[in-house]
Amino acid sequence: MKIIICIKQVPGTNEVKMDPITNTIIRENVEAIINPFDLYAIEEAVRIKEKTGSFVYGLSMGIPDATEMLREAISLRVDKGILMTDRKFAGADTLATSYALSKGIEKIGEYDLIICGKQATDGDTAQVGPSLANTLGIAYATDISKILEIKHNKMSCLKITDDGYEEISVLLPALITVVKEINMPRLPSIKSMKTAKKAEIEIVTFEEINADENRAGLKGSPTQVRKTFVPVHNVNNEMIEGTSEEKAQKLSEILLNLRTDVN
Amino acid sequence: MDENEFAKIYGEYLRDESRQVGNAESIVFPKSEAEIISSVKEMFEKNIQITTQGARTGLAASAVPHNGHIINLSKMNKVTGARYDEKADRFFLTVQPGVLLSELRKYLANKSFIVHEWDDKSINAINYMEKAQWFYSTDPTETSASMGGIASCNASGAKSYRYGSARDHITGLRIVLADGDVLSIKRGQFIADDNIFSLITESGRVIKGKLPKYKMPYVKKNTSGYFNMLGMDMIDLFIGSDGTLGIISEIEIELNKTQEVRWGVTIFMPDEDSAVDLVRALRHEIIIDNIDLQLNPSAIEFFSHNALNMLKNQQATNSAFSNIQEFKDSYHTAVYIEIESDSNDEVWAEIEKLGDIINALSGDEDNTWVAYNTINLEKLHDFRHACPECVNMQIDSIKKTDNRITKLGTDMSVPDNKLKDAMKMYNEGIEENNLNAVIFGHIGNNHLHVNIIPQNMDEYEKGKELFLIWAEKVAAMGGAVSAEHGVGKLKVPFLKKMYNKEEINEMRKLKKIFDSAQILNRGTIFEFEEDEK
Amino acid sequence: MASINIIKNKCIGCKRCIGACPFGAIEIVDKVAVIKENCTLCGSCVEVCKFNAINFERDKIESVDLSKYKGIWVFAEQRYGKLKSVSLELLGKAKELSDVLKTKVTAILLGHRVNELCHELIAYGADEVLLMDEEWLNDFNDHIYGEVIIDLVNKYKPEIVLVGATSKGRSLSPHISSTLKTGLTADCTGLNIDKESKLLVQTRPAFGGNLMAEIICPNNRPQMATVRPKVFKPLKPDYNRKGKITKIHKPPVEGFVKLIRNIDNSEGLSLSDAEIIVSVGRGIGSAKNIQLAKELADELGGVLGSSRPVVDIGWMPYSQQVGQTGKTVAPKVYIACGISGAIQHLAGLADIETIIAINADSEAPIFKVANYGIVGDVNEILPLLIKNIKEAKITIDKSYIEHINTYP
Repeated sequence: MKIIICIKQVPGTNEVKMDPITNTIIRENVEAIINPFDLYAIEEAVRIKEKTGSFVYGLSMGIPDATEMLREAISLRVDKGILMTDRKFAGADTLATSYALSKGIEKIGEYDLIICGKQATDGDTAQVGPSLANTLGIAYATDISKILEIKHNKMSCLKITDDGYEEISVLLPALITVVKEINMPRLPSIKSMKTAKKAEIEIVTFEEINADENRAGLKGSPTQVRKTFVPVHNVNNEMIEGTSEEKAQKLSEILLNLRTDVN
Repeated sequence: MDENEFAKIYGEYLRDESRQVGNAESIVFPKSEAEIISSVKEMFEKNIQITTQGARTGLAASAVPHNGHIINLSKMNKVTGARYDEKADRFFLTVQPGVLLSELRKYLANKSFIVHEWDDKSINAINYMEKAQWFYSTDPTETSASMGGIASCNASGAKSYRYGSARDHITGLRIVLADGDVLSIKRGQFIADDNIFSLITESGRVIKGKLPKYKMPYVKKNTSGYFNMLGMDMIDLFIGSDGTLGIISEIEIELNKTQEVRWGVTIFMPDEDSAVDLVRALRHEIIIDNIDLQLNPSAIEFFSHNALNMLKNQQATNSAFSNIQEFKDSYHTAVYIEIESDSNDEVWAEIEKLGDIINALSGDEDNTWVAYNTINLEKLHDFRHACPECVNMQIDSIKKTDNRITKLGTDMSVPDNKLKDAMKMYNEGIEENNLNAVIFGHIGNNHLHVNIIPQNMDEYEKGKELFLIWAEKVAAMGGAVSAEHGVGKLKVPFLKKMYNKEEINEMRKLKKIFDSAQILNRGTIFEFEEDEK
Repeated sequence: MASINIIKNKCIGCKRCIGACPFGAIEIVDKVAVIKENCTLCGSCVEVCKFNAINFERDKIESVDLSKYKGIWVFAEQRYGKLKSVSLELLGKAKELSDVLKTKVTAILLGHRVNELCHELIAYGADEVLLMDEEWLNDFNDHIYGEVIIDLVNKYKPEIVLVGATSKGRSLSPHISSTLKTGLTADCTGLNIDKESKLLVQTRPAFGGNLMAEIICPNNRPQMATVRPKVFKPLKPDYNRKGKITKIHKPPVEGFVKLIRNIDNSEGLSLSDAEIIVSVGRGIGSAKNIQLAKELADELGGVLGSSRPVVDIGWMPYSQQVGQTGKTVAPKVYIACGISGAIQHLAGLADIETIIAINADSEAPIFKVANYGIVGDVNEILPLLIKNIKEAKITIDKSYIEHINTYP
């Protein structure tokens, strides 16, 4: 089986700065990490690999430094890392990102399964997975919490919904987005880190993927950020003082009064 | 106050983490050294026993009172000063005994202290903190322990492998003696002349005496009885004295500079022997395949096969442990190391060599977990903490069937060359007695916690007997019967296995030099014996 | 410049396209289809390909006539005949927006045996309902529902489409937006019409709520947005309201994913609907202490919730998680026990009237957003609190107690 993981590099912390001119995020000076949800995607692919002997690609679209992140992915047992990096990819919203990734995947060639993390901790949209699948014209299913069986060209899995779970059957090739319930990502070993240190990360530029300039990057993004602001919380705070007994007493009065208001 | 009345109001102060319960008639919570002195003087007049308490997190019942008066230092919880030696680049803090380890760590992490009562020199010293991150290296697992308690029992934790125990980072003490006089000692100030010592109290009184003749075990981690060495620095007598020589009212500690780069590696070896060999290689005791390993771990920890099995079983059934890393069935025994350094590249170069050594010892460098960022280091810490937590949870549930059953864990350490012997002894003892036990702990210092999980009262009694037998054998190996918890009241029988009657009497005599009426922490370290009239 | 090509790894060589091509311009080479030079770009092959293996890009219409796009659509999510409240909330918002734009609100209702729901939708603000009631729409399927909606959008051209950010909505909407190559903004906390441009201004949090962004979609239609439940309030339903119901029939659409079975959560008051929530964080200390919080919740007639760290440790199930990656809740009263108030948790607390925080750390960020705060050990305060409430309730008259017991 051939599996492709889409990996995104995100800021390690959610403290941010915005570029006021392009209204996009300034990515320097913040520690960059693999998007936490993608770790679960990588782990799931590795588990399938251990059972069926598949080949696992890690594909990312990002800044040149992201090669180190892909190296980390290889230390997590991804077989090959590919980084799509080019100024022309920059400023992409989820549609343009999905388009660019689809071209990168086209360049890889045939595959059976694409696994993405449910969402990225910087954008939190959870849109790229489904959009990418749609751009590629393949099946997709989101919020997968367990892969039950992969047989021929069908995969059965469990999906988390607001009401519980669904057991579904997906036609391959397909794209799935996974949730944290699916597995426990393992840490790298000394051996896998040695492998990663020696690995060559493939760099792919805009030219090499036959992309349409109008569909990638800022140009290909129908949504634009008009303005950003730091939210302000205006709250009436009251600290309840006294001994523990007094605090509990005062709070119970407040709660019982609120309780009547609720009705 | 009548004992029963006292128990009703102050019940929680009759216990500590050892789960022993005592009794008392009065208690004070002094906020200053002066208040300690006045309470001590009062008790001295009335010849009433005193038990000193910090945060009551001790495991040996030192803080459990057996009649009399309690002096609880929890309200003396301020960091009162700082000192920076610019030439030597050394940083010191003065703390009251009730400061908790967790609070101290927070102040240091935020580089922010409550300074409105500090003198200018101290406030200036804090400015030097901007240049580097400093931390306090003594790391007992229970972070709600008090600094006074840490000093009294010479506490230590996993990092003592590299940084040593409490005494290695205490440079000053103020001690209130049994008669209310105060002894202020700085390290380097009072050095014994061979076996003769002489100290001067604040009131000008000279305290002279002869050091005992017994020899301490040649081990790095030792809290069994009084520190004793010819030509010793007398401050070391009070560190680890379990509150029997005086009440600590102030401590000066020395900090270490934090090294930014931190790695953790958990290594799974195929059997116990190869795991121990790995530890010996890490300690530079043996060379494997001519590989020159320059790794200097801060901690070397161990998890026995049984410990891993216990974790695996709990993981399957108990959701509280579902978050720790999964490990393969083939993983037999684990060694965990933590490294602090200034350079990631340097550490990695050594880890590569470590991988080769693991392979050479019939392990597999793929059966390892490597963490080099905070998030993953946390995961390895969680794994490490899961062991004792697991044991506690099992004991808690067994307690429901028989209330008398408590945790049975050893706290003994042996010299480096006796590690294999000690482990053989533990394994044989457990097997012969058919007990359910797990072994984990600070193997770097040959200090393993053997935890017996008794299924019933019979096994509990068997376990206690076994510990006594082990104490004797460990003492014979030149080890310490108490490595980090202190003798307290619980391990008094163990100490008797290490030192004979005369040697214990020497300790008694030494105590009486400082506490003639024997009112401080009676029954701690050794039994109380009335003076012959 | 239009173009057409076969996506090789999608093509299985089924030859349907060859049969559909009026010009014989497709042949199989090496097991996959290849388009020959005599292709006229009529597009007949594209429609019959079941595997989306034909990529056909039409000429870009330079001046997109956006004025053709009118009306605000709300996807009415329903599950086996029961409407999701978020759809009703969105209808209310849509009505507000439609007043500014002077246009209509249309609800899109797909399902099987869902006819009666139309009146509900109209009562809550829909001027029109586009209804597709078919057996093959009985189970939700993101691809199939998506294709249906794409067809409807292409036909009726709404300027705005709103979808609830439920797990289904978040899976469905990107399928639609990426096919229509239009913009989609997820998890909006605010929707407004810009007075001058008449554009939909979509406000949403990013970086875990540390930053708020205003997003617009100026050149593409429809402007799409998803909104989490409880962010907006529904209008008071007016069952006398009149509206148009348009029933549409279409042949079945095939999808790639089949539903084998539903495994529903057991019944019980859900977190999202609760009016009172007692939530636990790491400060609760251990799994067994959660019992205290449960007792408080029971006493107050509320539901137990949890912050993410507690779920990660395994003391509470994911279904009880409140926060950015858990559920958004909008109770009247939220009692945070031992929760520090990390920004990701606060992101799950949409407009709550009263937040009460109990935490041993006086510096905990939760105190900044709490209306009432107690600095203290949760495990010390909770038992006292429960005791006080139990005692106080005894003095409240019987009828009130009855009311509490019947409160759902």
